[in-house]
Amino acid sequence: MKVLKIVPEKCTGCLRCELACSYMQTGAFQPAKSVIRVSPYEGHTSYAPYTCTQCAEGWCMTACPVGAITITPAGAKDVVDDRCVGCKLCTIACPYGTIFYDHDTRKAFKCDLCGGAPACAEACPTAAIVYEETTTADWLADFAVERSARLLASGAR
Amino acid sequence: MSPTALTRMKAAPHAHAEEIPGGYAGKLLRVNLTTGKIWSQPWTPDDMRLYVGGVGLGAKILYDEVGPRVNWDHPDNRLILATGPLAGLPVWGTGGLTVVTRGAMTNGATSTQANGFFGACLKFSGYDAIVIQGRAPRWVSLYINDDAVELRDARHLLGKDTWETQDALSAEHGLSGHRLSVYSIGPAGENLVRFAAIQGDYGHVASKNGCGAVMGKKRLKAVCIVRGTRALAAADSRGVIQAADDIAHDLKTDPSARSLYEWGTLPAVTGLYKMGVLPIKNYTTNLAPPDVNMADWEGPKLRQGFDHRGHQCSACGMHHCHIQVIPKGKHKGELVDEPEYEGWSGAGWAIGCTDPVAVAWLNTRIDRACVDVNEFGWLCGWVMEGIETGYITRAQLGFDLRWGDAEGAARLLQLISHRKGLGDLLAEGVKRAAEKLGGAAQDAAIYTLKGASPRGHDHRARWDEMLDTCTASTGTLESGIPVHVTEVGLPPRINPFNGEEVAQQVAGIRGRRHFEDSLGACIFTTRTRLENICRALSAATGWHYTVDESVRFGRRTAAILRAFNLRCGIGPEVEHPSKRYGSTPTDGPAKGQAIGQQWGKMLDTWYTLVGYDRKTGRPKPETLKKLGLDWLHKDLWGKKR
Ligand code: SF4
Ligand code: SF4
Ligand code: SF4
Repeated sequence: MKVLKIVPEKCTGCLRCELACSYMQTGAFQPAKSVIRVSPYEGHTSYAPYTCTQCAEGWCMTACPVGAITITPAGAKDVVDDRCVGCKLCTIACPYGTIFYDHDTRKAFKCDLCGGAPACAEACPTAAIVYEETTTADWLADFAVERSARLLASGAR
Repeated sequence: MSPTALTRMKAAPHAHAEEIPGGYAGKLLRVNLTTGKIWSQPWTPDDMRLYVGGVGLGAKILYDEVGPRVNWDHPDNRLILATGPLAGLPVWGTGGLTVVTRGAMTNGATSTQANGFFGACLKFSGYDAIVIQGRAPRWVSLYINDDAVELRDARHLLGKDTWETQDALSAEHGLSGHRLSVYSIGPAGENLVRFAAIQGDYGHVASKNGCGAVMGKKRLKAVCIVRGTRALAAADSRGVIQAADDIAHDLKTDPSARSLYEWGTLPAVTGLYKMGVLPIKNYTTNLAPPDVNMADWEGPKLRQGFDHRGHQCSACGMHHCHIQVIPKGKHKGELVDEPEYEGWSGAGWAIGCTDPVAVAWLNTRIDRACVDVNEFGWLCGWVMEGIETGYITRAQLGFDLRWGDAEGAARLLQLISHRKGLGDLLAEGVKRAAEKLGGAAQDAAIYTLKGASPRGHDHRARWDEMLDTCTASTGTLESGIPVHVTEVGLPPRINPFNGEEVAQQVAGIRGRRHFEDSLGACIFTTRTRLENICRALSAATGWHYTVDESVRFGRRTAAILRAFNLRCGIGPEVEHPSKRYGSTPTDGPAKGQAIGQQWGKMLDTWYTLVGYDRKTGRPKPETLKKLGLDWLHKDLWGKKR
């Protein structure tokens, strides 16, 4: 299975991924509607993108009372607009805060992996977002373990 | 007032969304600081096509609204902060800001750029430009958050430098990073230092022609834009993305842009040194001191000497702007913006400072105080030479200031920013200070008679830029960098010391720079074929915008700015370098190359080719006609055609 991985140390905070994502989501450039969000940290010096990791156990999907969240052929959890009643339960259930509510459409919306060709990864000039095969469904935990080990070894705080 | 004046737009019916070309927000934000009135003004699709945005739009507003008696410090002067149709789109480096105003250095037109996220934030808030007039009764900042636009009390921000101002506003609004774009002035702007700049987003500076002094005079401390929530549509979004990809490919692979892509402007230090273009110690030499190994000044070395990371502008993939930490010494741990080439020269070589750590520190101090780093270099180098040779004394200055002393230079910066002691005179810029002292002091100063500061080069070995700087109407140069010149029918190479060829080139590339500066993009990310940029613009707007139209547009903008300057009394009589600026290098690669001997001829050729009258400086009637500027004819030539 292929997943979106992020390499925060490569991110420069140019926000090009947000432009690309909003275009895929809405057909216009409107970062406010991007489902990938780049957050500053260490003041204004560092940035990291973050979006839905399509976690193995999709809490959004479990929480949805009308079953509006399904799994697409690309392996993404996606909101079926016709079914979504806009109750926002999924946005509360998601531990990562990566499912959003759109006031204009009154529906929830989230990363759908662009149907298997993620626009954010394509748009990122620094390859801070990559779309790769992963061997385990719980790749996020592996990622966290690997990253903490690496940072601790390098003496970073 | 011309029949095509933008003021006509006031009467324009509220354009329906579908009529606005893609890439445009469709409105200008108008602010009168005297009355506190804020309003938005739609502009028409026809005017968008004619004036595009940025300097194109700004030039027209300036011409229509700022009369000859409205000097730079008059409340009716306009401070125009404009972006353009590519800002906020995924074309690399499109957060662009162009500042147009009547500037304090030349008391004439100004076009100066900065990037970061200003342009993108403004567009997502629904505006293509901000036009500021009047003078606030007390210090204010302009706050923009979609439809909420307010003037807010800024008295608590006074005295803060530009980075502190942005920190404070970020904290007040609880927004960090690029969720808020802040452009502000520091103490130098507040105290009307004539070469004060406007700085924003930690390290981006619209530095030319004293635009920061204009902002200070208006008592506007900062402009603070929350990244808006509006949608920006393109006529052909896929087309924009494809054009952006093609431009990115060009930037990564084309020899004229590749090193810029990889290392930003850093490689220019050694590159220009080899040509005698790196200015050293106020133009007194072109040779590095014997204890300096130029290999230590290669781009990668300059970057890797610091803990650094990318800090790019909106949607930019260039490895250009970086932020870094001072690694050692007295200022260890301070966060600074990685110097541009202009910083390495103005805060470094021009003042004899060859310690990269000291230069990096001083450079950010200059941005934070908010003065133009080029003018600071010429001024500080001139003071240092004065102390050495005696036209300025230690007693006058109050302390010793020797070549290369970055700490001393920072002290000088403080004096100037607060107009203390000799700093009050120096705050007028090197031209006015040197003319006041006269004699040897005047002979040693680097300036143009027009008042514009040269960029951070030794133009005695870069004649195209000296000619451009002296003839431009923008307070800096206006024709730009000769890249992809064959596209506009010029020879790929010229002899840089053949005045005739140089003048032909400067005249031939004319237009390109104003076009770039109208798009809301960066001159580095537009260092590709014009055809690519036109394709991006066409995809954004739905126009069929050709290379010919882009060049014609740029030349039209140049002619409007020139007409503005002529009306302000700035003509060919001041198109001259100062004695030192136009002198002949006595050592180094360009030793003996005397631009002074060819200057008159160069001007003759340039005037003929651009179609301006050599004597009066006016664009000739046939030039106006060719550019579609018949409406300027009466103003320039006194009678109707
Ligand atoms: S994969 Fe597509 S939808 Fe998901 S964050 Fe990236 S651009 Fe947005
Ligand atoms: S496009 Fe890449 S570098 Fe730019 S903000 Fe997104 S993740 Fe970071
Ligand atoms: S090249 Fe530099 S200044 Fe230009 S847009 Fe990119 S990061 Fe900004």
